[in-house]
Amino acid sequence: MKLEICILYPDLLNSYGDTGNASILAHRAKERGIEAEVHHVSVSDTFDPEIYDIVLMGGGQFHEQSVVAADLRASKGVLLKAYVDAGKVALLICGAYQLAGEYYVDDHGEREDGLGILPVYSVPGEKRMIVDIVVKDKEGHIYTGFENHLGKTYIGDLEPLGQVISGFGNNGEDGYEGCWFKNTIGTYLHGPILAKNPELADWMIKTALELKGFDMTLAPLDDSWEKAAREDVMRKVGVAG
Amino acid sequence: MTIFITKILILLLSFRGGGSSLPGKVALKLNKNILTKLARGYQVVLVTGTNGKTTTADMIVKTLQANGLTVVNNAAGANMTPGIVTAFIKYHPFFDKRSNRFAVIEVDEAYMRQITGMLTPEMIVVTNIFRDQLDRYGETTTTYQFILEAIKNAPSAKLILNGDESMLGNMPIPNACLYYGFEHHGKPEIAANTESIFCRDCKTKYDYESIVFNHLGNYHCASCGHARPKLDYAVTQVELSPSDSQALINETEVTVGVPGLYNIYNAACAYAVADQLGIKTSIIKTSLAAQKSKFGRFESIRIEDRTMKLLLIKNPAGCNQCIDTVVLDEDEVTLLFLLNDNYADGRDVSWIYDAHFEALAGMKVSKVIVGGERAYDMAIRLKVAGLDRVNFTICKDYHEVIEAVKRQEKDVYAFTTYTAMTSFRAYLVEKGYAKKI
Repeated sequence: MKLEICILYPDLLNSYGDTGNASILAHRAKERGIEAEVHHVSVSDTFDPEIYDIVLMGGGQFHEQSVVAADLRASKGVLLKAYVDAGKVALLICGAYQLAGEYYVDDHGEREDGLGILPVYSVPGEKRMIVDIVVKDKEGHIYTGFENHLGKTYIGDLEPLGQVISGFGNNGEDGYEGCWFKNTIGTYLHGPILAKNPELADWMIKTALELKGFDMTLAPLDDSWEKAAREDVMRKVGVAG
Repeated sequence: MTIFITKILILLLSFRGGGSSLPGKVALKLNKNILTKLARGYQVVLVTGTNGKTTTADMIVKTLQANGLTVVNNAAGANMTPGIVTAFIKYHPFFDKRSNRFAVIEVDEAYMRQITGMLTPEMIVVTNIFRDQLDRYGETTTTYQFILEAIKNAPSAKLILNGDESMLGNMPIPNACLYYGFEHHGKPEIAANTESIFCRDCKTKYDYESIVFNHLGNYHCASCGHARPKLDYAVTQVELSPSDSQALINETEVTVGVPGLYNIYNAACAYAVADQLGIKTSIIKTSLAAQKSKFGRFESIRIEDRTMKLLLIKNPAGCNQCIDTVVLDEDEVTLLFLLNDNYADGRDVSWIYDAHFEALAGMKVSKVIVGGERAYDMAIRLKVAGLDRVNFTICKDYHEVIEAVKRQEKDVYAFTTYTAMTSFRAYLVEKGYAKKI
């Protein structure tokens, strides 16, 4: 039993600590005695979606994101779409979340076709949304992180990751943050997201293992620091726990 | 008249302590062209770049002073227009009209355009462009554009540039350029998590002959030909220790009195500037060897029986350099981390995942003390990096931090973000452990 974790474009989409999500997943797997390996796949590499159990893609600077967009359009985008459509586990953050949609707007204000992986779209906002964010999902579960984006994303009929309690979320208008599509999560949460939201990390590990045919209960870990870190953010933005 | 009023203001404020940008703000209100007037008659050296500004400027100042020159310079951190105006007014000689006066000014990257619009620098020094706190400064390409525009305001300035910084090579500008950097150091191994490794001009991934650290090294773009320029000041050998370094710069043996590979860059830069200003090599050598740690740059503070070294961590590249210097220590150590998320620290703490704290897990670590407003975020990062959680003490305030430090039997390395450093240091001053700066 081994988890194969893939970071797409870690050398390009690396400005906001999102690659830390892979380290967190590997750490939490290993704590339960589950082997985990982190693979880096970038421009010069091939992407074989069969190999991976979890795919992660984060946010980057505009200069680098344009390189990623070109490479995805040329080859890997179709493969990533097939991976997501097959119901495998993926986490697409910020720039990757926008890129995976139907269309988005680049740094020159030009509308660009997205990869059509998620039925969402993004348009440019008036000013950058840079703030700590607190989100509550429909089960009342709280997620915290940090958002830093100009684009406003609209998710149509998709289920959001949660309702925004503090911050902007997808677009600062409809009160939603992120989206669920099959076993893929699109979100604006940096932090990295899995650092303070271990339940989400464990859901990814458990689901990925189930898809491999290992149905198991994950042993609980001591997440007291994670809970305390989440409370620090909530206290800071002035929302009750 | 403006200068006179402001000088009195500086004097008044000095009784109260602090306040280095306020007088400049007042002076600019009274006369918006004040800096042009103040800088007249000075040979001005501007020092900018993401990391190393304060230390490099200080090294240049010390070298010029060792040569008997009077030098105007701004206090660490006061590197935006008002702080720079304050520095000039503070040293303004009403009667002394001697020529050969120097000003070595550290300038925030975003303020460079404004400053070069107000005065005519003799030299512009650019140390590097790393990603900084992205919620504050924006992207590295934006910083590059700021610097480029600033240089375009100053076509006669001689440029002293880090040749190993791919963002700074072969810029589309007419200025005379001199480059410093490392020759043959380090295998071309690069962490995936590094910025600026795709060509500035054509976005192809660079090939590297060698890497010193981060993305700094001997780069070459196979697609458009953008490659490292020939080095005018080359570091060919280095020997590192936790307290200082030895380096061979243009075949001259130099001791650098402050530790870390990044300080060899700073020293090579200061060497180039001083050499270009005609300072004798022997004076440069003496001055670099005597270089002392500045505020938060491996500054040593005694807490009862323990020695604590304070390290300022601001961004992934700078933090990695601190980590790489600390791991040179082969003895058992205590590690202390203070993480804040105020504006000056970067409000997004996720940057700590872009620094390689994993390297610390290979040290002999007896205890990990964590504090600051985002102590738990830091603790999680260190746990994921492989430090053993049974060794952790998480503190809710500086009193607990100091008590924990006193209980240690090993010396302490303290990694602190900017506002954690200033408030922690103020606390140490209050308790009598550190001197006020």
